[in-house]
Amino acid sequence: MADLVPSRIEVRDLTLMYGHDTVLDALNLPIPRGKVTVLAGPNGCGKSTLLRAIRRLHTGQKGQILLDGIDIASLGAKDLARQIGLLAQNPSAPPDMTVEELVRLGRYPHQAMLQPWSEKDGVAVNRAMDGTGVTGLKHRRIGSLSGGQLQRAWIAMVLAQETDVICLDEPVNHLDMAHQLDCLDLVSKLNKEDGRTIVLVLHDLNLAARYADQLVFVHEGHVRALGQPEELMKPELLAEVFEVDAAIMTDPVHGRPICIPRGRAKAAVKELA
Amino acid sequence: MSTLAVTAPAGRRFGIGAIVLIIVGLFVLLTLAAIAFGSTWIPLETVANVILGGGEKTEKLVVWQLRMPRVMAAAIAGAAISFSGYLLQRITRNELASPGVLGVVDGAALGVVLFLAIFSNESNALTVSVAWQPLAAAIGALTAISLVFILSGRQSSSAIRLLLFGIAIAAVAKALTTVFMLVGPVYQAAQAARWLAGAVNAISWSEIQIMAICLVPTVLVALWLAKDLPPADLDDVSSRSIGLNLPVYRIAVFFVAAVLTSIAVAFVGGVGFLGLIAPHLARLLVGRSRFAGILTSCLLGAMMLIGADLLVRVVFTPLEVPAGTVTAIVGAPYFLFLLMRKDKTNG
Repeated sequence: MADLVPSRIEVRDLTLMYGHDTVLDALNLPIPRGKVTVLAGPNGCGKSTLLRAIRRLHTGQKGQILLDGIDIASLGAKDLARQIGLLAQNPSAPPDMTVEELVRLGRYPHQAMLQPWSEKDGVAVNRAMDGTGVTGLKHRRIGSLSGGQLQRAWIAMVLAQETDVICLDEPVNHLDMAHQLDCLDLVSKLNKEDGRTIVLVLHDLNLAARYADQLVFVHEGHVRALGQPEELMKPELLAEVFEVDAAIMTDPVHGRPICIPRGRAKAAVKELA
Repeated sequence: MSTLAVTAPAGRRFGIGAIVLIIVGLFVLLTLAAIAFGSTWIPLETVANVILGGGEKTEKLVVWQLRMPRVMAAAIAGAAISFSGYLLQRITRNELASPGVLGVVDGAALGVVLFLAIFSNESNALTVSVAWQPLAAAIGALTAISLVFILSGRQSSSAIRLLLFGIAIAAVAKALTTVFMLVGPVYQAAQAARWLAGAVNAISWSEIQIMAICLVPTVLVALWLAKDLPPADLDDVSSRSIGLNLPVYRIAVFFVAAVLTSIAVAFVGGVGFLGLIAPHLARLLVGRSRFAGILTSCLLGAMMLIGADLLVRVVFTPLEVPAGTVTAIVGAPYFLFLLMRKDKTNG
């Protein structure tokens, strides 16, 4: 599907180990330019590790990750930070830091030694705060924000970084339903309006299927399947990867596939085998 | 929630400026007072007159040779230790971090005790000049911090690993110090005990010069490193994502903090709690602002050590109680208060 457009990021034969545990095993993954790629998989499958490896927060023992054909291992810390942004799973900042201070930190990779803060930085910060609706909160302290406000402030920080690729590690984990949709709609808007390449790790399969252009099932350190949500949301695949016995339907509102789990799929797996 | 929230940055910035000015003023006053007070009282205007180049011969002698060196030493060492504490509290994101936990102070102590043990003859006299004692302290301190880094090995970028190894090295150094003091001659034990408590009474101008010469480049490096402190305020993943090379940066800050403290304790001894309290108070007073925070914590640290030395001179004369005893007596309860307050906010 995405073969027509050259991939923005190409993960090649990536093997990554923690001590003696192989977390990613010769994994290959293309991430298409200007699309939303969602990594999904059961706990411990390596999806978060993969996301962090793409941002070079972990380095693999073998293989490489190419950004527009260039090995990210050869890029400088700030250079890479101007191209790939990442929102951590549980980010934390001092509670007495203000929202504006936090968002300004997103400009860190753009600041040179002798020219610390430019007009361009100010514009980027204001745009990031406007885009996430935190302008009104800019003098508030981090410690005084609600969960939804806090998440938006962090997304604003990542936006201020003005990277073309944005990675988000389970961005909706601690949010209620309305704020989950707010957050993902915002991400989707960034993709559609600015053409940014988005890589998301999501736990909720139905949200994954709804927002993904390319859905990726990571299983035991491998990419088990990738493609459009319609291609991946199949009962056999869900039984294998997620060990659930699920019925697949089409969401009447968005026309995307949704799954309704009946229960664990031990039996189903055995039958398949 | 909203009472905490609304703060006008302009007002805050003005507030910080005013607070810093007040602290600078207090610092000047305390410095003058510390020179004026002592076994004899010298009026403030005489002190000012002597500093500006006037005064009689005896006044000059007392001010320049007796009072000034210890006040200067207290100011410089107090500031250096507090700067070190400020860096450590920021980089570990922990307000209870202090130079003491790096093993630097106890390493220096061990250096001093070893020096006294090795260079003494049978009649308890030192076989070399006591002027070498600061060098022994510095070697001890730098050995301790090097061991902390070597033992942490590949994990030295993790703040908690460094702190744990620092505490372990400090404990070992402390135990060895005690052993050497117990097996060594009584004179040595007394001399070592004075150093351990921290005192500025015996310091000379040439020692102050050496201390200042060592500190200038270290402070410049520290200030240069301090520009990257804000991104390091975030969690590890976030600060690395915005392009800070956190593992390298953290090691550099730890190392510079260790050197700052080493230089100070080499000359004035194991002054306790300054490096914990001064940066903490500074943060309470001026908030997160970096350079105001550094300046305030240096001034507060300097004032604390000058004040402690002044108290010692005024209250305990003619007994020469080490100034470090005073900082410890005042500092320990403050530390306990911090711990209890932290429990409260966590609970």
